[in-house]
Amino acid sequence: MIDWSRQLSGRYPEGGRDTRQKEEKALIEVKNLVKSYEGHLAVDNLSFSVEQGKILGFLGPNGAGKSTTMNIMTGYISATDGEVTIDGYDILDEPEEAKKAIGYLPEIPPLYLDMTVREYLKFVAEIKGVKRKDQAQALGKVMNLTKTTDVADRLIKHLSKGYRQRVGLAQALVGEPKVLILDEPMVGLDPQQIIEMRDLIRNLSKDHAIILSSHILSEVSAVCDEVMIINRGKLVVSDTPDNLARHMENQEMVHLEVKGEKHRVSQVLNNINGITKVEMENERDGVCRLTVYCGSNDLRESIFYALAEAKCPIMDMHISNRSLEDIFLELTGKDSGKKRRRILEKSGQEGSAEANGDEADLLGGETSLEENDDLAGKQADFRKEEE
Amino acid sequence: MLAIYKKELKYYFTSMMGYVFIALFLLAAGYVSSRMNLYVGYANFEYVLGSYMTLLFIVLAPILTMRIMAEERRSKTDQLLLTSPLSVEKIIFGKYFAVASVFLVVVAVMLLYPLILSSYGEVSFRTAYTGILGFALLGLALLALGTFISTCLENQVIAAVVSFFSILLLYFISDIASMFPSSNRSALLILSVLLLLICLLVYWMLRNILVAAGLFVVGEAALVLVYKLHQSFFDGIVVRVFSWLSVMDRYQTFMNNSLDLSSVIYLLSFTYLFLFLSIQSIKKRRWR
Repeated sequence: MIDWSRQLSGRYPEGGRDTRQKEEKALIEVKNLVKSYEGHLAVDNLSFSVEQGKILGFLGPNGAGKSTTMNIMTGYISATDGEVTIDGYDILDEPEEAKKAIGYLPEIPPLYLDMTVREYLKFVAEIKGVKRKDQAQALGKVMNLTKTTDVADRLIKHLSKGYRQRVGLAQALVGEPKVLILDEPMVGLDPQQIIEMRDLIRNLSKDHAIILSSHILSEVSAVCDEVMIINRGKLVVSDTPDNLARHMENQEMVHLEVKGEKHRVSQVLNNINGITKVEMENERDGVCRLTVYCGSNDLRESIFYALAEAKCPIMDMHISNRSLEDIFLELTGKDSGKKRRRILEKSGQEGSAEANGDEADLLGGETSLEENDDLAGKQADFRKEEE
Repeated sequence: MLAIYKKELKYYFTSMMGYVFIALFLLAAGYVSSRMNLYVGYANFEYVLGSYMTLLFIVLAPILTMRIMAEERRSKTDQLLLTSPLSVEKIIFGKYFAVASVFLVVVAVMLLYPLILSSYGEVSFRTAYTGILGFALLGLALLALGTFISTCLENQVIAAVVSFFSILLLYFISDIASMFPSSNRSALLILSVLLLLICLLVYWMLRNILVAAGLFVVGEAALVLVYKLHQSFFDGIVVRVFSWLSVMDRYQTFMNNSLDLSSVIYLLSFTYLFLFLSIQSIKKRRWR
């Protein structure tokens, strides 16, 4: 799994962090954050930092530990281990100063349904310590930004989900915090509103450090400067969306249907130079369906000749690129992404012991067709080529 | 803190809650007062407070306090409060003062009763106002208890039911104590059981078996030692312990024409203790 991040030229999950970032003043610093619930690790050793003007996206499936991390950063729950520094203040040691610098939109917007929008925002301004004479101006500003002015005097319980989400964001913006932590800010918005929300977040990023989370990749890649993919509390990979995408486009997959015996076919394919991995999907009536990974090269020709020589006729062959969604599913998939996970494990021979254990569970009684050593060798070759 | 206080107070007076609470108390006070002071003709307002009036707390205090934190937690608005720059202390005190203010409206109206009665004859203001002070302190203490229970639980209704039974228990605790056998041996047994309960509570709060077990062993050893060496100490000790725990016995001292400073301090400490526990319970929740 770690191997992936290397392929993606991104940072390693542990150590090897970009030192350039240290020079600028990071508004958010999280170091070795751990949260365990009775033996279950919800957040497992996360570290990152965000400077002003940057947007960091947390990406991961539901239950990956995104909300837990955000709840720890905002001081709602405490960490088992590690530290969080916001604008230079430790969230545990100087909670009041640190919390003043944070605007937080939780997963479920914390709204009092029987207040009007204006009453609610006024209450928020008061608890955040906005001075009385500045309140009217501050409220006007956040309502303008979030386009909630026209519902200002309506009860929150009568608002639609999209408006409630915007009021939630307005609440986070009250008091001009330097840091914005937004947990799934796009949920419940219609496509038009999503575009507006993206623009708003991009505009806000100029003078804020922003962290937002999502389980939808396109949202994150559309606004964030950096994406952290998290799964089961662990950092899987961290890179810019462009880098993630670029490297993925290089990963070509050839889907094949070949008449012939399973072992024979895979043996032939494994002997072709440049193929990183052969994945057997199923075999029916003597026809194997399989997927071949061939890095950045188009190997269809070699595949054709090799199989022709071995007298294994190709019934179908087509090529497909892997999208960001594929990376995401591969990196985070568990049961539903069983197959994809296997790809991942194979590509990362240095995968941790735990990952290998998981793989064994997932594979169950299935036969794995590739010879690992062989594959590793090929992969190394492939990497050399790439360099 | 003021923001929380205002918001809570506004809630009580824009929903029915506050009005129902005040109206029911005043209705009862008016009824009992008209029976005792007007119909029977006693000139003592404290007789009104010393009667069944206090039973109203069993039902009404939980209704006022049940939502304090349980409601915030259910609607997830506690995330807003706990991630704001406000400290937990300010949140709890703000909320408690709002509840207390609703109750103090009742007390304020009661302050008028002796004045009204005095226009029809001789009224002992000293005893009447001592009684009202006691009533106010009792109410504040029970509301603090209800606040604590609401901070521990997720569900309003459960919070109300638990508060209901807790206050009920406080009412009858000295009656219950008098039903226990009075021999010294059984006193030792009862105190041991009490000690065990306290240690279980400590274990539940700290999740540290060593501290809880150690406390139990030391406490039990001390009890047995005292039992062997100084038997007379155990005479009637169960009743003494329970009546010391009984808020109602403290309240009764206010009805006996005397302002007992220790009772005032007792009730105020009771209030503070439960507010302190409320704050701790919220802080502890974070560490889970």
